Amino acid sequence: MAKPQQKDARRNVRTALACASLVAGMVGLAYASVPLYKLFCQVTGLGGTPGIEAAAPEQATDIDFTVRFDANINPTLPWTFKPVQRAVNLKLGEEGLAFYTATNNSDHPITGTATFNVTPLKIGQYFVKIDCFCFTEQTLQPGETVDMPVTFYVDPEIRQDRSTEEVTTITLSYTFYPKKSETDGQVSALKQKSTPVDIGG
Amino acid sequence: MANAADAHAHDDHGDHYPGFFFRWFCSTNHKDIGTVYMFVSMFAALVGGGMSWFMRLELAEPGLQYLTGGAPDMQFYNVLLTAHGFLMVFFVVMPALIGGFGNWFVPLMIGAPDMAFPRMNNISLWLLIAGLALLLISAFVGSGVGTGWTVYPPLSSSIYHPGAAVDFGILSLHLAGASSILGAINFIVTIFNMRAPGMTLHKMPLFVWSILVTAFLLLLALPVLAGALTMLLTDRNFGTAFFDPAAGGDPVLWQHLFWFFGHPEVYIIILPAFGLISQIVSTFSKKPVFGYLGMAYAMVAIGVVGFVVWAHHMYTVGLDVDTRAYFTAATLVIAVPTGVKIFSWLATMWGGSIEFKTPMLYAFGFIFLFVMGGVTGVTLANSSADLVFHDTYFVVAHFHYVMAIAAIFAMFAGWYYWIGKMSGKQYNETLGKIQFWMFFVGVNILFFPQHFAGLAGMPRRIPDYPDAYAGWNYVSSVGALITAVGTMLFFWILYRTYAAGTKAEQNPWGEGATTLEWHVPSPAPFHTFEDQPDMSGKQPAE
Amino acid sequence: MRNKFMTFGLALMGAVVSFGSAFAGPAGEVRSAPWQMWLQEPASPTAERIVAFNAQLLVIETLFVIFVLGLMAYIAVRFNAKRNPVPSKTTHHTMLEVVWTVVPILILVGIAVPSLKHLYFADSIPEADMTLKVTGNQWYWTYNYPDNGDFTFDSLMIPEDELKAGQPRLLTVDNKVVLPVETNIRLLLTSNDVNHNWALPSLSVKLDTIPGRINETWTRIHEKYAGKTIYGMCSELCGVNHGFMPIAILAVSKEEFEAWTKQAQQTFASDAPPVPMTRDIAAIDNVETVRVADASAAR
Repeated sequence: MAKPQQKDARRNVRTALACASLVAGMVGLAYASVPLYKLFCQVTGLGGTPGIEAAAPEQATDIDFTVRFDANINPTLPWTFKPVQRAVNLKLGEEGLAFYTATNNSDHPITGTATFNVTPLKIGQYFVKIDCFCFTEQTLQPGETVDMPVTFYVDPEIRQDRSTEEVTTITLSYTFYPKKSETDGQVSALKQKSTPVDIGG
Repeated sequence: MANAADAHAHDDHGDHYPGFFFRWFCSTNHKDIGTVYMFVSMFAALVGGGMSWFMRLELAEPGLQYLTGGAPDMQFYNVLLTAHGFLMVFFVVMPALIGGFGNWFVPLMIGAPDMAFPRMNNISLWLLIAGLALLLISAFVGSGVGTGWTVYPPLSSSIYHPGAAVDFGILSLHLAGASSILGAINFIVTIFNMRAPGMTLHKMPLFVWSILVTAFLLLLALPVLAGALTMLLTDRNFGTAFFDPAAGGDPVLWQHLFWFFGHPEVYIIILPAFGLISQIVSTFSKKPVFGYLGMAYAMVAIGVVGFVVWAHHMYTVGLDVDTRAYFTAATLVIAVPTGVKIFSWLATMWGGSIEFKTPMLYAFGFIFLFVMGGVTGVTLANSSADLVFHDTYFVVAHFHYVMAIAAIFAMFAGWYYWIGKMSGKQYNETLGKIQFWMFFVGVNILFFPQHFAGLAGMPRRIPDYPDAYAGWNYVSSVGALITAVGTMLFFWILYRTYAAGTKAEQNPWGEGATTLEWHVPSPAPFHTFEDQPDMSGKQPAE
Repeated sequence: MRNKFMTFGLALMGAVVSFGSAFAGPAGEVRSAPWQMWLQEPASPTAERIVAFNAQLLVIETLFVIFVLGLMAYIAVRFNAKRNPVPSKTTHHTMLEVVWTVVPILILVGIAVPSLKHLYFADSIPEADMTLKVTGNQWYWTYNYPDNGDFTFDSLMIPEDELKAGQPRLLTVDNKVVLPVETNIRLLLTSNDVNHNWALPSLSVKLDTIPGRINETWTRIHEKYAGKTIYGMCSELCGVNHGFMPIAILAVSKEEFEAWTKQAQQTFASDAPPVPMTRDIAAIDNVETVRVADASAAR
């Protein structure tokens, strides 16, 4: 018939600290998930994340493939952004070159950044970019138009992989955003246009 | 056996209670804290329930009758459905089962005098109340939180929800989460370190097992929510871009983090209910639970597997096909330990001598209705089938069957089972049975037709619907009315029990009630088991 | 054994259908009927598989629920205290415990195999004959036809007070998406603001539109739907008018589609009012394409 004693109290505190360290660990994992998530997608190509390599393989294959191009602009960016060509037909392993064109329709210089992905999502690891305008920020002067290149290839391994062997067309998509620090004034102005219902705040 | 435990059941201090303010606002007593948790839960249930009854009122007929089509009213509807979800999950079910019944009966069932950290217990309670206050305040700040309880960005970002409402909501959840984390630590330490001598883990009642597993889930899942909420808070206010694609973030990352918490959360809700049902089924069948070890470890399995299935809430987000295939398979796996529990309850009742008093009616109803909710879960587990079900009323029907019906049935069952022990007054059995049947009929009429609406394609989170969905929506709203009346009847019974209930016996349930709380008087004295009983000779607990 | 399930499944579906009214909406419209209890009629190869799979699941699950209910009814009658005053002491039965673990595993494997097969079918995009690009906005859809002249138009819900007779409330739009039947269509989806979801129950298409990325899936409309309108609704909470941004696809023959794209290239390039399709019973006269939804008239 034991009463709780001093050493029981210390044991309790030790157990509690062990629990607290689990809590701290999980918070750490939550924050670690941010870079880990990006890393995981880059390494596996999941989510349609393209790979990056320095050059195409030396020997291209003889297999035909199509790469389509898609362009989106965030409504807060007063640019026109389109692919120059709708699609490119090339061989697997062959280095391809495509252009996008962007025009700054406003009256002040704007810097844009682009997000991108490829579809179908499962071929991410087989679509490899060699050089891309998305690797750097793009600054356009008012009224300026630039052609932005992207060089890439499709890894012939795509035909070896049972889950991707039936794919014959890949779509590469970009979405251009204004560089974040530039949006603040513009966002509320644009909100009037695109979200006409006033939800207060 | 009974006498040895009874001898240590309460001390000789003469049950000296603190003054009113000190007793209820600065409590370090697990019973009093448990009682306050239950009243907080009931208050939140009325608010959250009131919101849902208003929504059902609006949805009873096509067209907008009580709201206008203008943006403020549409935002109001979204605020209601968001608050309804938060209230029910964080401020009704969890405080009732874990804060309420857990605090009251875990120490009693293991023969401990109180929780390991009684003051931290009180901190948990008041953190929860503060969290509730912040949530209610958020509805009056700016345009309120109209994002759904899932709070997905970009809708929850500062662009699409300007003002401070979402920030209030985030802080509310931080406080509620902190409350639960501290409570989880308290339960784990109490259960591991303060069991009466001779009560090994394999002799603990299954309700205690359920709270132990739940506490570990809380410990591992809530911090991830806290991290995600903080990321959203800094995205909204301090220029970070975790979830903003404009600056390299990803809205889908929020969904991964939220559901990594969110799926274990639903097991946090249901596992204590499982434990409670085991106690009640055993008591009223006058038999020990069938397959005790299987039951305990099935709960552990459900808890563990529950951590690796989160993306079944994200099947239509744009996940790779192999990812969806994995989550389909993993989600189907959970049906196995759950099935073990269902069959074990049936086997417990089989051969028993069952008295269908109100707690047993609710437990019986729980088993059947949880099975109904569970099978629609099997349908939803399939990512291919989910193509037609995601974000429809089929999902709404599924989770309300397992949460609003099953978990709430467990809450009622626990109240009827234990109110005599908690208050010293017993409820009126006839009224209890009437309330059960009214509530049972009400919730089934309320939620069963929603399966049909969802199958037919009605999306969720909408205040008005194409005319074809009118029929089932009307029926569902009638069910809501009946449920509301059944709920009011419960509160009437609550009042009558406290005001004029008959004196409760120490053990009103007979030979089937074998756990330690039946060895203390009713109401349970302020201090119990100051001297812990020796349980070494005892058989494994039922 | 499989045939028995299929037969029972079909019989059950028949019961559900006759008890709860037919699958289809009014003639020419693919949407829910009043009091509908089952899925909308499948109009694509994916949907045919999903609807059939769901019927199989319904059979298995209903049998299980009836089984449990039966056991519980028996327990309530046979083992209540009056009828069985002395409880047994049985708490173990190894064989039983093995059976009720193994049998569910077998049933679940039986479910998982076709489930994954259908998943991979729905995901594998066959050679596409055309592409439709869908962009979600608060609170309307934007459609772009990159391979058919690269024209773009918005599709907004028609408010209730502007509906004509026969047009379904909350589902009618000003510009329908016109698509050819018996054509593999690649669907590219994205959003301009928050997460939306482009969903068509009868095609078993449902995919989030997320800003900053495209999602891809495919569909193919069965030829018997030529001339019919297929409806859907936004399926991800996206703000105040989430319930008021429907999707309407007008399925047409390949020839009509060709003709329509030629007209559309003119119409949508110049912001002129849309040209009504001859078979479009919801033809709209003289309504200027409105770019911004008027939510206050959304009743």
